[in-house]
Formats: sequence, C-alpha cells, structure tokens
Amino acid sequence: MQTRYADGRAAITHVTTLDVGTDTIAFRIGETEHVWPYAELRRADDGSGRVILKRHPDTGERLYLDETDSARLIVAAPGLNAKRAFGIEGPGTIAAITGAAWSLAAVFLLAVPLGAGPIADHVPPRYRAQIADISWSQINAFTEYCDDSDEAARILNDVAYRIMQESDVPMRDDVWITIVDAPFPNAFALPDHSIVVTDDLIALAEHPDELVGVIAHEIAHIEHNHIMKNIIRSVGAGIFFDVVFGGAGAGQMVAIASVNLASLRYSRGDETDADLRGLDYLDAAGIDTAGLARLFDRFAEQERPPTESEEEADGERSGGFPTMLSSHPATAERAAAARARSREGLNPSMTDAEWQIVRAACGGVVLPQSEPAPTAPPNAPPTNQPPVATPLPAPGTKPD
Amino acid sequence: MTVETAEAQSFKHEGRFLNVLGLALKNAGLSLLTLTLYRFWARTAMRRRLWSRTSLMGDPLEYTGTAGELLRGFLISLPTFFLPAIFVLYIAPLVFDPATAFWLVAGFYVIGVPLVAAARYLMRRYQLSRTRWRGIRLWLAGTASAFAWASFGWTILQTLSLGWYSPVARMNRAKMMWEHTRFGDQPFEFIDDGEPPAKGLWWPFALGWFAFPISYIATLFIVFAIGAAIVGTGAITGEQMSANPMLAVGIAAAVLISMLVLILFCWAPYNAAAMNRIAALISIDGARFKLRAKTFSLFAVSLAGWMITIFSLGLLAPMAGFLQVRYVFHRLEIIGHPKFAEIGQAIVPEGKAGESLGDAFDLDMGVGVI
Ligand SMILES: [Zn+2]
Repeated sequence: MQTRYADGRAAITHVTTLDVGTDTIAFRIGETEHVWPYAELRRADDGSGRVILKRHPDTGERLYLDETDSARLIVAAPGLNAKRAFGIEGPGTIAAITGAAWSLAAVFLLAVPLGAGPIADHVPPRYRAQIADISWSQINAFTEYCDDSDEAARILNDVAYRIMQESDVPMRDDVWITIVDAPFPNAFALPDHSIVVTDDLIALAEHPDELVGVIAHEIAHIEHNHIMKNIIRSVGAGIFFDVVFGGAGAGQMVAIASVNLASLRYSRGDETDADLRGLDYLDAAGIDTAGLARLFDRFAEQERPPTESEEEADGERSGGFPTMLSSHPATAERAAAARARSREGLNPSMTDAEWQIVRAACGGVVLPQSEPAPTAPPNAPPTNQPPVATPLPAPGTKPD
Repeated sequence: MTVETAEAQSFKHEGRFLNVLGLALKNAGLSLLTLTLYRFWARTAMRRRLWSRTSLMGDPLEYTGTAGELLRGFLISLPTFFLPAIFVLYIAPLVFDPATAFWLVAGFYVIGVPLVAAARYLMRRYQLSRTRWRGIRLWLAGTASAFAWASFGWTILQTLSLGWYSPVARMNRAKMMWEHTRFGDQPFEFIDDGEPPAKGLWWPFALGWFAFPISYIATLFIVFAIGAAIVGTGAITGEQMSANPMLAVGIAAAVLISMLVLILFCWAPYNAAAMNRIAALISIDGARFKLRAKTFSLFAVSLAGWMITIFSLGLLAPMAGFLQVRYVFHRLEIIGHPKFAEIGQAIVPEGKAGESLGDAFDLDMGVGVI
C-alpha cells in the first residue's frame, strides 16, 4: 500500500510521495504542491496502525499514509499522538462534565425543596381537590368505608375542631376525619384536608388521648401544607431526573426509585415539624401528651425484630403492611419528646361514653378499655393476604 | 494517477469484540460517574470507533460528529419535546379529571408515533451527514415530516391489518429512506426489479406471525410444568407463588427470557429475508449490493446482543449495536463499481445541531442499518 491523497471533491485517491519535515508535511499531486503544517492536522485512523490525516477545520481532504510514512510522521510530530489530535476528550473535559452533572444535581437538591413550599402554597384549590380524588380512589381500592362510623367520626371531628379552635388553625372548617376499615393501623392526611383514620389504629389505641395525639399530628401536616409540598418534591424529582439525566437507563431508574421512595413518607424535617406543632395543639387544648408517647412506645415495641417464638406465632408479620411510623428510626425519641411535655391532672380528651362509641366503629373492638394490652399487637395483617395486595400509596397518600 | 478497483468488493468490519468492549466499559463507567451526562461523549466515541473499523475497498468510513452537537440537539429538544411531555405525563394526571388526563395521554401517544418516525429520520440525517468515505460526505435529503406522516399512515394500516401490512410497510420505509440517501452528490436508488418489493417476505412473515404465539403458549405450559415438578405438586397455584418468592421470580424470569428467545427465533427468518431484500434493491451509480443474512446466524447475533444488554442492565447496550453492525458489514458486498471519480462532494451544508429527539426516544445506531 502506498501513501494516497483524496482531495475532498471526488471519491478517488491519488498516489503520492510524502516529505516529512520538522513543522510540516509536503506532497505533490500533479502540478500542485501541498504543504500542511502539523498544527493544522488531525487524525482519522482506522485502527489498523497506519495514520490517516485530515485538516482542521475539515476540508474533506484525506491523506492515507503507508506504514513507512506513518512511522516517520509519529517520530517527527509526537503532538499528533495526543488525544486531542484524535478528537478524544481529555481528563479536563471529563472532570468538567462530572462537575457539571453533580453541580446540577446539587442545585436541584437545594432548589426543589426550597421551591416546593411556595409552589405548594399557590396550588389552586381546584387542583388540590383533583389530586385528592386520585388519593381517594386509591384509598377506596384498598379500604372500606365503615357504614356504622358516622357517630364515631362526628366525635373525632368535634375533638379535632376544638383543638384547631384553641390554636386558631386557619383551615379548620375544611378538615374532615373519616374512619375506614383497613388491615393496618394508620392515619393519612389528604390534599383536600381530609384525614383518614383506620379502624386498626383505633383498636391499637388504649386511651382517647393516644388517638387524638395522632390526629393532632395529622392536622399539623395539613396546616403546614406538607402534603402538597411532598407531592411537588416527588414530581420535581421525577421530572428532573427524567429530563436532565434521562433519555436512557440509569436516569429513569433513579427517577422511578426516587419518586416512589419520596412519595412513601414525609421528609424527616416535616415529620419533626408536625410532631412539635401537634404537641402545641394538645397543650393549648389541655390534652395530655403522654397518650401520644404511649402510642409511640407501642410502635417502637413493634419495630423491635420479633423473637423466634414470636416469629412462629406471627409468621405473616414480615409480609405485612407498612405500619404507621414503622420505618421511622427515631420512634423512641419521638415518644420521649411527647413524654417531656406531659402534664398531670388533665381530663381525657373524650368522655368514656364517647370513647366507647369510637371504639365500636367498624364492627368495634371486643376488648373492654380497662383490660391490659395484649402482647401480640392486633395489627397483624390477615393471614390470607397475598403480598400483591399491598396498597400502593397514591400521590398524596402519606402513611402518617 | 487514479486507483480504481475490481468488480465485486466486500465491505469489511475489523472491530474486535474485546476492543469495543473496552470502550463500552469505559463509557459505562464514566456515564455512571457523571449521572449519565457523559452519554453524548460515550455515543460519539462509540460511533467513531465502529465507523472507523468499517471499510470499503480498503478505506474506512469516518464518523465526524461531536459530542457538543449531540448535547446541543438535546438542549433544543428540552423545550420542544420534554416540556410538553412533562406536562402531559406528570402534571395533567394531577390537575385534570381522570377522563381528560386519559385522553391527553392517549393523544400524546398517538402523536408519539409520527414524532418517533420524524426523530428517526432526523437522526439518520445527522448520522449520515457526519459519515465520510474518502472525505466525501453522506446525506439524507427530503423532509422528516413527509416521512413521519407517511410512516404514520403505514402504522395505521399495520394495526388495522393485525400486522399483515408490515412487510409492505417495511419496504416502503426502506424505499423512502434510501431514495433520499446521497453519497456526495450521487443519489442512492431503490430500484424496481420487476417484482413487488415485499417479494419473498410473506412466508417468513406468516411463519413468525403464527409460530410465535403458538410456541409461546407451549413454552408457558412447559415452564409451569417444570416449576410444578420442582415444587412437587401437580400445578402451581397463586398461594405457592406468594409463599415461595424464589419460585415466582424463577417462573417470571423463565417466562420473560423464553419470550425474548422465541420472538427473536420466530422472527429471524423474516428479518433476515427483509434485510437481504432491501440490500438487493439498493443501488448507487449502477452498482448493486448483496447481503447474506441467514436465519440462525442473525438469531444468534440478536440473542447475544440482548443477553449482553440485559445482564449489564443496559450499560453495555452499545455492544448489541456493534454485533449487529459487524454482522451486516461482514456479509455485505458491493457488485460493480460506481464511477468514484465522478462522485463529487455535495454542496449541502452539514447542519449544526445533533439528533435532539433521538435522545428523547433513545434511538441509536446499529438498529436499522439496513
Ligand atoms: Zn407525620
């Protein structure tokens, strides 16, 4: 094979003889003498070991060097071995891309949480209701409304209203509590300011103050608009990863994972916020916060890994539903915070008669109120429940 | 002095598996490190590598595109494609009632069909305009919208005919693509050889159409029978699946993998026949092409590509493209020779931005060479 030249105007090559100088190469085609400075050259090799040269900016001309000329050129112009001559990005470019990517991610991690609050506050009520409809349709899919719970719900709503009046919560006329039949103890706040309480949560509570403590916490989520903020954070995360890093593979997987994880629970900060505000409500309304502390204790007890004998007796536990707060590592701390603000000598938040009515909702609880707590928590999911029936939380369906 | 060549010349592809794998691994690593932002550089480097290893008459193809062009194309597609998509897919379901949101999403997917076709055309144009041989550029003339709407019509016919229009549609698309392809100022032709373009495709198509569902159902029975034998019962029930997650995962994996294998295998005769037929109808300046794709080898190459893609979680997907490109060029011949001395550089400008929508739909090279 000889050294050949293509002129960039026709798809043919001309054999030529190459003169390799110190700063230039020179060759003759017919009558024309070509002189190319090394600084203007780039490589377009084919991996066979011979050098193919083009000019920068590209004129379409190509010079296919034979083996001898290739070897001579490499010696004469070592600069043509640099990555840059091949059009390959150097470590500097890679560092810049990496820096840009992580800066974008960092800006996003700061901007979305900061922006979520103001955006959430300006979502028109019509859209809020629309989002709540989606939440409701999911709740309706995995729970059942309790026909016999009207009186119990009225009692809970009265207590909630009393609490909100004491603390001057602005949206107190919108908040509405509904009791549903579900196989796990939980309470949700929805974007339309509804609060859903499951019958298993009522069953788990041994004193009205325990249940009212959870309701106060949910009201705090509503007052501070945590639900909408959380939805906007999740959607923002999904959009960001989809767009900036999307297109292919990893970005979308991150997006899916982040959206799902984020929509499962509030941020730690929102949770603490709701805890503190909820305790304020209880204080202002003259309700003992020790009730909430006892309920937290019981959850902490459930989070403890079961002993072997318990596992045998309660084999379905692992496949069960996420319980309220179950993933929260600091349940014991939250119990302590509530206990620290406990005051002696306060009246229960409901009368005995009212509490019996609440306990009777959704078929009711068989145990009388005074009986000691059962060792096995009554929240174990039904044994015939296949894992596929695990409820998928809708946007805006926030366990606790 | 002019170098001209012999009568029948093979294309060559000198890409070696380990060489390309090394680049693919480097690209995958940097893509992870940069949260996938490196993908434009990765794609460019891979194309440059694959093009340069493909040669005709001893001279290689050359890819002259840059990562900056791809990035610019992506940035252009942000407001024009991604923002409407975000609105429809993320915002609309939250702010509209379910029926409206459903129709919006459905409409979006209907518009998506011609949009994907247009993206394919634009991407092809970009790649051809960045491909040179002996310094002469390739090009795709025509308009993306003409291709998009024609393709949309053919998709509707394919759907209405339960797929039976597909061989004709495939040839129509190939014809439209190749008739607009230029090497320098020389057009490719999609010739009329006196026979219908889809000649020879109907039996292989019928084979795929019937054999796939039948063999798939048969495989389902076999998978569940094996599963039952392992568990030691007569049949698999939902309760056993939920009690034994390993069994459920095993059965799901077996079902998916057997489906993939069967799709590739049952459709390989049709795909091989269609590729060979398209190649046989392409012509440039009197020279013709001949491709010798065969059922079993094509099946093996496609399956290997899918397996690499799946087991690398998509990170090594470019290897599938490499295998396919190498397969085609190994088996491609050019018969007769164009008068290269008369083929000049086209005066069409290169165009600036890259593939834009191609990134949105993750269309990449390798697929649809022929
Ligand atoms: Zn909470």
